Amino acid sequence: MTIEDLIGTLQLPRLELFLPELIVLVTAFTVFTLDLVLSSPLKRKILPSLSAIGYILALLSMTVTVQYKGDTFYGTFTNDALGVLVKAFELIIALTVLAFAHRYFLSKKSFYGEFYYILAFTLLGAMILVSSYNLIIIYVSLELVSIGFYILTALLRGSFISKEGAFKYLILGGLSIALASYGAVFMYVYSGSIDLREILRYQGEDYHYLILGLVLFLIGFAIKIGAVPFHFWLPDAYQGAPTPVTAFMASVGKLAFFIPVVRIMPLIQDKFAVAWMLTVGVIAAATMLYGNFVALVQKDIKRLLAYSSIAHSGYILAAVAVTEVIGLKAVIYFLVVYAIMAAGSFFVVAMLERSENWNNETREFAGLRFSLPYVAFAFMVYMFALLGVPPTVGFVGKTLVFMALSFDELWWLAFIMILSTAISTGYYVRLVVLMYMKEKEKEVSIPGRSYAEIASLVFLTLLTVALAVVPGVVWGLLSPGAETLFAR
Amino acid sequence: MELIRTEFPFITLSLLIPAISALIVLFIQDRLVRWVSLAGAGLTFLLSLVVLFSFDYSKTASVQFYEEYTILEELNVKLSLGLDGLSMLMYFLTTLISLVAIVWSVRDKQISFRLKEYYIAFLLTESFLVGVFASFDVLVFYVFYELTLIPMLFVIGVWGYKLRLYSAYKFFIYIFASSLFLLLGIATVAVVHYKGFGSFSFSYFDLLKNTYPLGLEIFVFLLFFIAFAVKTPLVPFHTWLPDAHGEAPTAGSVVLAAILLKMGTYALLRFNVGLFPEATLKLMPFLVAIGLITIVYASWMTIVQNNIKRFVAYSSVSHMGFVVTALFLLNMEGLRASVMEMFAHGMTSASLFMIAGFIYSRLHTFNMENLRGSVKFMPVFAVLVATTAFAAMGLPGGSSFWGKFLTVVAAKEYSLSLALLVIAGGFFSAAYVLFMLKTLFLDVREESILIHFTDIRGFKLASFILLVIPIFLIGFFPHIFFNMFEGSIGFILKNLLGLK
Repeated sequence: MTIEDLIGTLQLPRLELFLPELIVLVTAFTVFTLDLVLSSPLKRKILPSLSAIGYILALLSMTVTVQYKGDTFYGTFTNDALGVLVKAFELIIALTVLAFAHRYFLSKKSFYGEFYYILAFTLLGAMILVSSYNLIIIYVSLELVSIGFYILTALLRGSFISKEGAFKYLILGGLSIALASYGAVFMYVYSGSIDLREILRYQGEDYHYLILGLVLFLIGFAIKIGAVPFHFWLPDAYQGAPTPVTAFMASVGKLAFFIPVVRIMPLIQDKFAVAWMLTVGVIAAATMLYGNFVALVQKDIKRLLAYSSIAHSGYILAAVAVTEVIGLKAVIYFLVVYAIMAAGSFFVVAMLERSENWNNETREFAGLRFSLPYVAFAFMVYMFALLGVPPTVGFVGKTLVFMALSFDELWWLAFIMILSTAISTGYYVRLVVLMYMKEKEKEVSIPGRSYAEIASLVFLTLLTVALAVVPGVVWGLLSPGAETLFAR
Repeated sequence: MELIRTEFPFITLSLLIPAISALIVLFIQDRLVRWVSLAGAGLTFLLSLVVLFSFDYSKTASVQFYEEYTILEELNVKLSLGLDGLSMLMYFLTTLISLVAIVWSVRDKQISFRLKEYYIAFLLTESFLVGVFASFDVLVFYVFYELTLIPMLFVIGVWGYKLRLYSAYKFFIYIFASSLFLLLGIATVAVVHYKGFGSFSFSYFDLLKNTYPLGLEIFVFLLFFIAFAVKTPLVPFHTWLPDAHGEAPTAGSVVLAAILLKMGTYALLRFNVGLFPEATLKLMPFLVAIGLITIVYASWMTIVQNNIKRFVAYSSVSHMGFVVTALFLLNMEGLRASVMEMFAHGMTSASLFMIAGFIYSRLHTFNMENLRGSVKFMPVFAVLVATTAFAAMGLPGGSSFWGKFLTVVAAKEYSLSLALLVIAGGFFSAAYVLFMLKTLFLDVREESILIHFTDIRGFKLASFILLVIPIFLIGFFPHIFFNMFEGSIGFILKNLLGLK
């Protein structure tokens, strides 16, 4: 091969597909450098605002990327409707995380410059993870997201549960990445390719290599999304992490770890429809039942929400089991809106944690309506949304999952979902009853509320209802995205 | 079903007036709250009177005042609102009872705190209920059906009596869990429409065209039935009702018994019988049996209650047994009886709960033992008690007479023994009403001199009068009401018997 041939195969990267990631990358490096050189008081002002500006610019640049579709970087990076939709929500939530994190860390009497650039790098990883089919890129971005999460979880160095949670997460997260990469190797052995689309379309003879590879790869992701029986790290990590970080993990983390599976789901279903339906169905059933049953007895609000997060992984997995395009749409819609509900509910907890002698116990919610009417109202909206009461996004999500399940006539799974949702009524409604119908147990007040916080909370709460009443906004990207994937 | 579109959005307006009043209530001073809510409910009632008089009674089978707004193009979810004869009656019942409930609350001592939330809850309930009865999109129907739960959870849990939290929980969990089956059912009918016609649809008119294999049809029928059986409620799904109705404040019980239970029976008629005719015919003996068991069991339970609110609550269950029995007899008389009884029970149960609430305001007890002979000292109130109690019993001239009488006629079309069973149920319901009347009127009361009784007056009297007028209207001029829904039930029946 001559040098001319090599140059001939060179492609210029199509930047218009990669714009938001590029902006986030630049933001991350700028914040990183500034954290090293700036003096401490200056940092407190500049790092958050610079990150916010970066994310807003990235969000604006999505208006450009949404017009183009295709691969770049030699097919390792794909930009499509699904990617744009998910990335937009990741950026929106990252912005709100910034709004809540600042005051939160101030109330803990600490400021962490590293929080801002690690957040940016994690976000970058999450954005790349949702837009690639390439095993190497998936592996690298998976590591980027995971390492970011480990550090962010352990950010409160003085707290024991923070370190405990991070350590558990590190060990099981390491295991998951090891399994996923080992699975990737087998898939490469089977097909000689590192592109997941090519691997799954390849008609090879050593089928057992593909099966082994896929199983290991998917178990790796199952650990990350907290599917039973791979969920053990999740409640501890969610409880231990600083609460804005928990919100970030529960929303952006879940989106990022689910989407690679969603991308290859139609291709796998093409090959192993029945096995896929059964395996994922059983895991989904176990996950939602376990999550809801255990959440019922939790006394710590963060653990309760963590188990509710496990249960929601179960609901989403139920739709993953379905082999029709409506299942794919249900998965994507539910993922996106769960990110909003989860982020919102954890943000409320993050605000409450700033109140003096607040211990994150559920009984402390008693009479919250009398001390903090607006916060209590927002939390009630999230509780009803997580429960699936109309007209919230949680309701539309559950309806779509039911439609998907009845399309494939998975009645047993639908009934398990009804049962587990009925169980979840117990703890969601208990919180509403505590807040609105019990006497006040102690005075709760949030010192120094910032406008950014209030605006974010109002925005997320409105979104929780608006995306259900006017679903067309999301549907415009969601539907073509799902159709493209389903066309295989 | 023919659609008659409207130029003026009557239904949207009746949805919005209470909702906007609720919004206004949120921002005004506490002392104005009562009057603004009263104005909101009154205005909606007047609007419903306008609708009632501009309704075209020659076309009760067609959906009039029809409006349609698309929510989601791809899944064909539309906010389609309209009224046929059946919905018309229920819509009128909603606006009437909501007004009564708010008029009653104005002078209710129980409601002395968190006024704003209280009236917002009632106004929103009214708005949602209009949505329930006017929606011809199954998913939107479900949305409104579930939405009514939230304000009621608050009404029971915040302003209720002693066991209010337990009852509020129980109410919410029972209804929410059961309606998840309904949601699965709705998802399934939409999917069946997709498999048959190539596009999802939740529209009632589209779903009428669906065809199902018999097994699937019975399955979906049961999914719908579980939700509505809990709501109605039918034995053995009724255990939430005595708690919820017994612990709710008076106006809450009024709305619960008079309208919220009707959502169950209305939906059984509209959706179960309307959409799944074959399954209905197959399951008919079973359903009639459940209805009969409900009548008899609930009547017996009523007689032994010593709390007057739980007494009225159980009597509601037994009346709903009549409604369901008549409904699933599946002939013209049966459906007429059923719908008539739905409306009539709205009047009588509301006034019975108000009687219980009024006595509580005088004696501060619901215990039957302590109520003995208490009515004697309040002549006007005594007349109201006698009127509504006899009407509830089914005496000719009262509202429940036509429902019970026609149920017997409908049962007679099948066999004499079935008719005799229904008559036996009627006998038990007469027994408990007479028992109540005996306690309130005839029993001797020794320590009565010590208590000061003031007769009913003012707002409370007004709310009774709002109910007594329709009670006699139904009793003496039933054809006004029969004409209203004749066409719609005829349509459902034709759809059903086309199969036979």
